[in-house]
Amino acid sequence: MPKNSRKVKVALKYCGSCNPHVGLTRIARHLAKVAEERGDFQFVPLSEDGINVVVILCGCPRACGNKAEVRARANQSLLTAGESINGRHVPEAHLPSAVEQELSKILDS
Amino acid sequence: MSMMTGREYRESLRRLKPEIYYMGEKIESVADHPAFMPHVNAAALTYEMALAPEFEELLSTTSHLTGEKINRYTHIHHSHDDLVKKVKMLRALGQQTGSCFQRCVGHDGLNSVYSITYEIDQKMGTDYHKRLVNLLKEVQSKDLMISGAMTDVKGDRRLSPSQQKDPDLYVHMVEKKKDGIVVSGAKAHITGAVNSHGHLVMPTAAMKAEDADYAVCFYVPVDAPGVIHIFGRQTNDARKCNCFLDQGNVDYGIVGGEALIVFDKVFVPWERVFMCGEYEFAYELVERFATAHRQNYGGCKTGLADTLIGATYALAQVQGTDRASHIRDKLVEMVHLTETLYCCSIACSCQGYALPAGSYMADPLLANVTKLNVTRHIYEIARLAQDIAGGILATAPSEMDWKDPRVGKYVDKYMKGVADIPAETRMRLIRLLEAMTCGTALVESMHGAGSPQAQRIMIERQANLERKKRLAEKLAKIGEQPLLVC
Repeated sequence: MPKNSRKVKVALKYCGSCNPHVGLTRIARHLAKVAEERGDFQFVPLSEDGINVVVILCGCPRACGNKAEVRARANQSLLTAGESINGRHVPEAHLPSAVEQELSKILDS
Repeated sequence: MSMMTGREYRESLRRLKPEIYYMGEKIESVADHPAFMPHVNAAALTYEMALAPEFEELLSTTSHLTGEKINRYTHIHHSHDDLVKKVKMLRALGQQTGSCFQRCVGHDGLNSVYSITYEIDQKMGTDYHKRLVNLLKEVQSKDLMISGAMTDVKGDRRLSPSQQKDPDLYVHMVEKKKDGIVVSGAKAHITGAVNSHGHLVMPTAAMKAEDADYAVCFYVPVDAPGVIHIFGRQTNDARKCNCFLDQGNVDYGIVGGEALIVFDKVFVPWERVFMCGEYEFAYELVERFATAHRQNYGGCKTGLADTLIGATYALAQVQGTDRASHIRDKLVEMVHLTETLYCCSIACSCQGYALPAGSYMADPLLANVTKLNVTRHIYEIARLAQDIAGGILATAPSEMDWKDPRVGKYVDKYMKGVADIPAETRMRLIRLLEAMTCGTALVESMHGAGSPQAQRIMIERQANLERKKRLAEKLAKIGEQPLLVC
């Protein structure tokens, strides 16, 4: 397992959760488990420098968290907005695993 | 420190020594008394959620004064985005508490006084705005919860403040000193008063020259000498002390927890005085506060309605009625009414505008429409919830009988609906619906932020009926009309 300092830095950004259509914390919890299992990435606050990926978690298609300044915090970003990932429809039940797959694509590329 | 946790908020309350009375008892600690704990818990969530990653985008922001991260409840709106986020924050909090979380009144008061003090200073050469900014810095840096104390007890409603037989029926200045003023009077229905750190006191109505002593706006700590709180009774409030399940909303109660605040010759130093005799600004302050507060109601009440709809739907499932077409139709109607209210709050926020101080306020006409709709739609939503729930809402056995070794088995057996769902589930949902629809909570939707007639008055003032008449006259070819009416 790589040392902490070598791990890819991933930050989560929530939209604010005023009336989410999907369970955002379920996605976050799943990703935390994946981080533990893979061991090659870690979650860091969005304020930290050198973030590699920002996962933007939005509860509905309005996607309030999808802002230029948020995306600019990292080299790459991944957007969930209600039942969608990067604009592709994904049923709520499949969101956690689908986000994992998208994140894995970025991490493995 | 600029943002407190819920625990730190509770600790901060324990350090204060406000004078509070409830049911003939002097209360030593609001943070630890069962009658007040639900309200403290709801307010504490405004602190907790501001630090939670899922909600921080709504509940926290950046101070325009210091650049520090602060709780949105201490923020002055500086954009449409701020106004919209306030509404979204309220909905999120309403969903989590199912009750009133109290902190918006002081927030609206701060925003109103911030803008009005700037304008008083421009015209009168006073320095109220600087004083308010100093208070605001303290509120932001200490993450204080302040109440907004506007409504006077009013005595004989036919008479102006200065015409009342008892001069204390409106809060007023009784003495002007070198170092401050002394005030007396009382403010009624003040939400979150007993678990706030201080009170922002504002005049309640338009004033004339003879009412100048009543045109006072100031801030006092909750435990300032002479400030006395008499906490109001609520429907079924005894259940807070001797029941658990029967409370319905155990953690957060049914409303904000309102109190009568008495000011018995309270000294206010000049640095905490923001209006003192400038009666011509009283109405504008009231209108701005009313607009800000009425903007809220399509946010917080829709959050509450979300939980109410959820409880109603769940109860229908427990009772086996959830697939009936008329039940589905009523649930859809509840959602329709809820989202209509939300539309109103979002609309008045998007149509808001900048004031001379640089802060933003919601559109007054649309904000008043929002609140007027709340006085009707929330009642209709509650009526539909009661319709779906059935008469059991008013006749369910108590939790004491459910736990009683002699009759508990009968409660379990006969309170059950669908066979594989325990009776306890049904009873919990019934009590939650009872708490949300059968008493004090509904009155809050009627009179909180002003009674319906107050909204009608403000709507009429801004209705621009003359222009509407000209539009009709043009189409009807009455008199000479231009091609376009602008």
